[in-house]
Amino acid sequence: MTLARTLDRLALYLSIPLFLALWQLVSSAGLVNARLFPAPTVVAVDLWHSALSGVLFVDLGMSCTRVVIGYAAGAGAGIAIGVLTGRYALIGNLFTPVFQLLRPIPPIAFVPIVILWFGLSELGKWFLVFWGVFFTVWIATHLAVQRVDDMLIRAARCLGTPDHRLIREVVLPGAMPVIFVGLRTAVSISFYTLVAAELAGTFAGLAYRIDIAHQNMQIGQMMGGLVMLGVMSALADRGFGMLSRRLVWWA
Amino acid sequence: MLSLVRPAKPGSVSAQPTAPTPRRGHVVIDRLRVSFGAGDQARVAIDDLSLDVPPGEFVCILGPSGCGKSTVLNAIAGFMSPGSGRLAVDGEPVAKPGADRGMVFQQPTLFPWKTVLENIAFGPLMSGRAWADAESTARSFMGMVGLLGFEKHYPAQLSGGMQQRVGIARALANHPRVLLMDEPFGALDAQTRAMMQEALLGIWNEFHTTVLFVTHDIDEAVFLGDRVVVMSASPGRILADIRGELPRPRVPDIAFTPEFIRIKKQCFDLIRTESLRAFEQQTQGRGA
Repeated sequence: MTLARTLDRLALYLSIPLFLALWQLVSSAGLVNARLFPAPTVVAVDLWHSALSGVLFVDLGMSCTRVVIGYAAGAGAGIAIGVLTGRYALIGNLFTPVFQLLRPIPPIAFVPIVILWFGLSELGKWFLVFWGVFFTVWIATHLAVQRVDDMLIRAARCLGTPDHRLIREVVLPGAMPVIFVGLRTAVSISFYTLVAAELAGTFAGLAYRIDIAHQNMQIGQMMGGLVMLGVMSALADRGFGMLSRRLVWWA
Repeated sequence: MLSLVRPAKPGSVSAQPTAPTPRRGHVVIDRLRVSFGAGDQARVAIDDLSLDVPPGEFVCILGPSGCGKSTVLNAIAGFMSPGSGRLAVDGEPVAKPGADRGMVFQQPTLFPWKTVLENIAFGPLMSGRAWADAESTARSFMGMVGLLGFEKHYPAQLSGGMQQRVGIARALANHPRVLLMDEPFGALDAQTRAMMQEALLGIWNEFHTTVLFVTHDIDEAVFLGDRVVVMSASPGRILADIRGELPRPRVPDIAFTPEFIRIKKQCFDLIRTESLRAFEQQTQGRGA
């Protein structure tokens, strides 16, 4: 019993090392063209070089800034507008059909027009990340606000809560657990849209570096960029998960 | 006998102004009529219901399920506008929900993100009182429902009976004119329910707030109320308004006295007839 438990645990810690070992084996055993599919050791060395030159940190800094700004703007607007559309039928009916029409358009489809509108400025990158995050957070908030337990709202009104305080005191906290699910999904989405944003013409960033490395046939650099994107996105997701367990612990 | 209401600690509970103010809380329901739906689908839930509850009285509204008992409370709470008729508390017509009418629901409906103390202090805070003031009020009511020491707990950490005590304390912390209770002990097990009934009477003894207590449990209605108002199956009307001669304070043994059994029998016969009628109505409705 305890042995089985230990093995279960062990599997968790071995998951990533085993994956890397398999990757290493496939590349170095000559099963594939090692030039096109470099081993993790090669990728690590390439990453190390770009770290030493400082390029990696510039790319990381640029990409993170874009994600943070676009995410913050998208999440803030998504929550604010979601509360309004979810709570007030008039506003909801006015905005929901338009949003449902715009929501399914993949952000990458906006790249050409964003270049026309914003040129190669940072504003365009922020806009694309904002676009991806906004609709995800908006729909989660909209639905969450509509599904807040009506009895809690009744209880609050019976306790003399004035209408203008109802949203802050009951609706928002009541909707928070579901809003946080949307916020967490939006973390991953912000990294997807970051890639689209950086392919839209820029001078630094993780996805930009992948594109440049591709043009120079630096496969190790390319895979290094992919690894960094994965690591960043996963770290952000884990961090957010921990944060939400602290902030909406009652859910 | 174990007392559920913790003995008042000098300076804590009694610091609250607990002088009975029985001149507040006069509830008048005058020819209330409520229907749901419209056109062919319209169903009369309450038909021509009048009730006058003097300040400080404990009235139990008893009836078979679906008779519109809860609708009466919801109307007084201000959650729905009556089709016709008049509702007033101390002469003021009921327009919308307000702090003067406290409500305790069947489910405790506490705010899960607030501590026990914050839940109880919520009403006073919403009435514009400062936190320190609201907090001291909340603490005194926590003492009254026997929850001192649980200030920092969250609702999910409490048992169902304890949660419902918080619900009662939260409603009372606003010093409402009338306390509306909608089968508050219906979801509790029999032992907890009996304890909660005694605890409730203990608290009521301090305040003599007007109470409208809805239940389908005959024993509960007879044990708690000064009056038992028996309602008919849909549409809801008043079948009987029974005022017994049971002494207060009520002790559990009172259930074995002839007077208790007399009232209980009277209620039982009325409810049984009504339940059968309601059942026939439903089955006929299906067949048609």
